[in-house]
Amino acid sequence: MTESAAVPVSRPSVRIQDAVKSFDGRVVVDVADLTLGKHPVEGLIGPNGAGKTTLMRMVTHSISLDRGRVTFSTGTGAPDVVLSSKAPHAIARRGVVKTNQVIQDFDQLTIWDSLLLAASKAHDERALKIFREPHVWSEYGDEIDEYLNLFPFDNPFGFAKSAGEKKLLDIIRCLLLRPKLLLLDEPTAGLPAGIRDRVMELIKKKATEENVSVVVVEHDLNVIWNLSDYVHFMAEGRVVLQGDPPWIREHATVVEKYLGEGHVGR
Amino acid sequence: MNLDWLTQYVVTIVILIVTTVGLALLLHLQMGLAGIGNFGIVGFYGVGMYAFGIFLVHLPWPESWGMVAPVLASLLFGTVIAGIAGLLVGWLIVDLDADGILLGTLGFAAIVYGLSQTNRTWTGGAEGMGTTDFPYDIGTIKANTLLWLGITTVVVALILYYVIRVHRSPYGRLLIATGQNEALARSLGKPTFRTKMVMFATGSAAMGLLGGMYGVMLHYIRPVELGIGITLAAMVGLVLGGQARAWGAVVGVVLVGVLFELVFLIWIPFPTEWRRQSLPVIREMLYGATLILVLMTRPLGILGRMRRDRTVRRPAHD
Repeated sequence: MTESAAVPVSRPSVRIQDAVKSFDGRVVVDVADLTLGKHPVEGLIGPNGAGKTTLMRMVTHSISLDRGRVTFSTGTGAPDVVLSSKAPHAIARRGVVKTNQVIQDFDQLTIWDSLLLAASKAHDERALKIFREPHVWSEYGDEIDEYLNLFPFDNPFGFAKSAGEKKLLDIIRCLLLRPKLLLLDEPTAGLPAGIRDRVMELIKKKATEENVSVVVVEHDLNVIWNLSDYVHFMAEGRVVLQGDPPWIREHATVVEKYLGEGHVGR
Repeated sequence: MNLDWLTQYVVTIVILIVTTVGLALLLHLQMGLAGIGNFGIVGFYGVGMYAFGIFLVHLPWPESWGMVAPVLASLLFGTVIAGIAGLLVGWLIVDLDADGILLGTLGFAAIVYGLSQTNRTWTGGAEGMGTTDFPYDIGTIKANTLLWLGITTVVVALILYYVIRVHRSPYGRLLIATGQNEALARSLGKPTFRTKMVMFATGSAAMGLLGGMYGVMLHYIRPVELGIGITLAAMVGLVLGGQARAWGAVVGVVLVGVLFELVFLIWIPFPTEWRRQSLPVIREMLYGATLILVLMTRPLGILGRMRRDRTVRRPAHD
């Protein structure tokens, strides 16, 4: 089924082997061997309930695996890291980061707060470093300013108000972590069209120019066809098709006929 | 200046109020920022107080050390032991939900209260143990007590300063994020368990220091000092003042303390026979009623919410 040209694996990637997750006895994800991140931008598509979000959460270990393992390769020759035995925060620190499908926010933190939090390192946040604030502003302020210029918020010193602002904030927070492998879970849902295009443009740039491997779960298939270099198609917990976007686009209809209506979407 | 109204008794009550402000400030870090509702404050305070007393009384201090060094060393010991207790209790409870935290910390305070009565040789049992006079003598008893009030106030002021700085530091941001959406904080690479443990243990240690210092003032420490009253006063004061605000602890505890401890217990001329039995009980009921009333009418307290949208700005110069 795979027909893409062999790409030299020098990109950050995760390999998911023999990974199973079930909820209440129902198997939601059952992946034999899958590598995400061989291409700059990869799409992960499939019908509702195919296990896409669950698979991503297994990678970041925000849910635990029933069995199997997930390993992360930075692509720089450093030894592989077994993610499935690491705590979620340690995985994020290593550069494997996921945005949230459902809106997540800190109610009492302003937009600037939220972004400074994401950018700050562990050594900035020790209990006795009570004079560290000017340092984090001067260290990370410019980078945050760049994002705020690109994506203007209503009031960056206030709280994120609309769903769109919160969604955007979620994505920028993840970018400030300087991810090596970025998992985007329905990034466009809730974003205004203009902002959405700018986000996608930026993601594409990060992937091609900064060697960030991006995996996108998205229901809007136009985003997938335009953005991705490679597509994984999931159904019923398994990856059933892999290939270049045009090839998947052609064969997805076959899958749809085989599996029934509504599996692929428009 | 006529200081006659400032009786010895009033000074000790003021020391208690200042100590409670300190406890409420530490509770503010735990509950108001990190979301850990510690109902066992008096447990850590009690561990500090008793560890201080036991260390001071049962160790053969050389005469040549004088008064000050043994008291300071014992206070340090009480602080460390309370910090260790905080680590142990924290390890058990910080990842539980609010109910679990409430029960766990309340249970810990009950254990400390029980332990303080059991081992007679170490603690003096229910009668308690005499510890020390003030480690100095500057004249009258009142003058000595006033000096201790000054020292306690300095310590509590330092705690207040620390808490205010925490609000303006990356550490405070981390605590707030951990308290509000732990899963999200974790996904941003924040070690939330360790964050809560460090905060809980250092907070417990400081509560132990305040307990030890209050033990110095008491000269004689008894299990009766470790009742729920201290926890209630700190908790009610903080919630009344505004648990999300650093000054909430100060405003709330001073208000509640002056009202219930001074005005109600001393300055209102109730019949003498009420004072011994009824008034302390009625006072505890008033604490409970105040808590319910505040939570019903103004759950955010007098000072209200955090308002970081007004305070967090780029520092003037780097």
